[in-house]
Amino acid sequence: MGFSAIQIILVFVWVFIIAIDQFDLLESLYQPIVSGAVIGAILGDLPTGLIVGGTYQLMTIGNMPVGGAQPPNAVIGGVMATVFAIASGLEPTAAVGLAVPFALIGQYMITLLFTAMAPMMSMADKMAEKGDTKGIVRLNYLAMAILGLLFAFVCTLGMIGGSAMGQTLSALAEQFQWVMTGLSTAGGMMRFVGFAVLLRIMLAKEYWGIYFAGFVLATIIGYIPALSGSALLLVAFVGFAIAYNDFQVNVAIKNAAGSGIGGNGGDEDGI
Amino acid sequence: MASNATHYNNLTPAQPLDKATLNKMVFRSLNLQASFNYERMQAAGWLYAILPGLEKIHADDQEDLKLSMEHNLEFFNTHPFLVTFVMGIVLSLEQQKADIGTIRAVRVAAMGPLGGIGDAIFWFTLVPITAGITSNMAINGSLAGPILFLLIFNIVQFGVRFFLMYWSYNLGTKAIDILTANAKEFTRAASMLGVFVVGALTSNYGGTTIALTLENGDSPIVIQSILDGILPKLIPLCLTLGLFFLMKKKNWKPVQCIALLLVIGLLGALVGIF
Repeated sequence: MGFSAIQIILVFVWVFIIAIDQFDLLESLYQPIVSGAVIGAILGDLPTGLIVGGTYQLMTIGNMPVGGAQPPNAVIGGVMATVFAIASGLEPTAAVGLAVPFALIGQYMITLLFTAMAPMMSMADKMAEKGDTKGIVRLNYLAMAILGLLFAFVCTLGMIGGSAMGQTLSALAEQFQWVMTGLSTAGGMMRFVGFAVLLRIMLAKEYWGIYFAGFVLATIIGYIPALSGSALLLVAFVGFAIAYNDFQVNVAIKNAAGSGIGGNGGDEDGI
Repeated sequence: MASNATHYNNLTPAQPLDKATLNKMVFRSLNLQASFNYERMQAAGWLYAILPGLEKIHADDQEDLKLSMEHNLEFFNTHPFLVTFVMGIVLSLEQQKADIGTIRAVRVAAMGPLGGIGDAIFWFTLVPITAGITSNMAINGSLAGPILFLLIFNIVQFGVRFFLMYWSYNLGTKAIDILTANAKEFTRAASMLGVFVVGALTSNYGGTTIALTLENGDSPIVIQSILDGILPKLIPLCLTLGLFFLMKKKNWKPVQCIALLLVIGLLGALVGIF
């Protein structure tokens, strides 16, 4: 499978863009139906690109990034499937199969990056303390560039090394399976740090019950499969009812108290 | 993050944001997830997106800008296509120099429920329908397939982003009079809703489970199902409260907590707990 240097460079650039696009930019260029056509055009076989892209797109319809979960990565999978289909004249479905190891590597790279970006947040905190607005902007663009480069690099390896490269890479990943499991478990736990920070600031003593009530309600609704998708919206309605009632009652008390009690100590002990 | 200020120094409402700035922030909202990470998720991208507005609002007071940047770097996660709704309402509060606690509470309360709505609109409806039709066009060799897909998806996406930004900014600006008349009561109620939502997030986003089983002949004991029998989502709850304790009582910094979780995750995976 010979590719010209210009083709490899163009694929590198395209993958750099769509790797970022899967989370940012237009969030639609990365879809296999678009990406397949572009890769096909770069490699001089637009019809095959359209067919493989369309086929891969139909496969991924049931596999959307819903609720922030990371499925095997369709971005890199779609690109490599198109490359293999054009380079070796494979049926689209067979090409998609060869691309699976790359899709898994894509998933691993995202896990790594999202974990590595967590400690960077304390750098962002320091920038905020200094009012360094340019620093915040740079930090975001830097993270986007890293993501793009990682993906573009792996796709280039795949184009040069062929599908064997995918197996080599995924075998390597297999050997360090525990590292990946460990990182993704740690990654899954890191959001609790974010919650704890919010609680440290927001959780006055009188709100402990409210915190547990929210936890329990979300747990109950989450265990009902038909409702789990809208769990947070349903919870918010109940939370709103509680908060709105509290607001009405306290405003009424304030107005009724008027000049009587006076001062503003009324809400110190939570009424 | 160390700052405990509850309100801005300059409490005079800033000039309403002009169209150019609001539009600029709509475009920046596209990159909400640029620095996505497992700790604070979209926090830094959120700050990046609203920065043009914050710079205008707090132009006359550098300290206020710092305060605002600090609290807008706290945990943030919402649906990427609907984020401008949260942006509009938060910016209207910033512009009116509402209490920091109020802004935080409104931000947390607004970001949570949007996820389900966004998934339903975009991933369960718009993409399957458009992609289903246009994919078949592509498979039949028509270049119109991908082009139509891009057009439809982005017209809807930008329509939603612009509409929500202006609608919620105006909504927040109009509601502000009612709110400032009863500011204390409103902050209290909004904080309650915020804490309620964080409680819900602890369960809803908390997926940490244990894979450990004990040998017991034909019916191995699955530790996770025992834990679920005690209290479902026990591990997410304990971790959140444990980290809360470390930060509140032991003055741990977030980055230390992250290091601890990395060690737990890697060691746990090595010995097969996860």
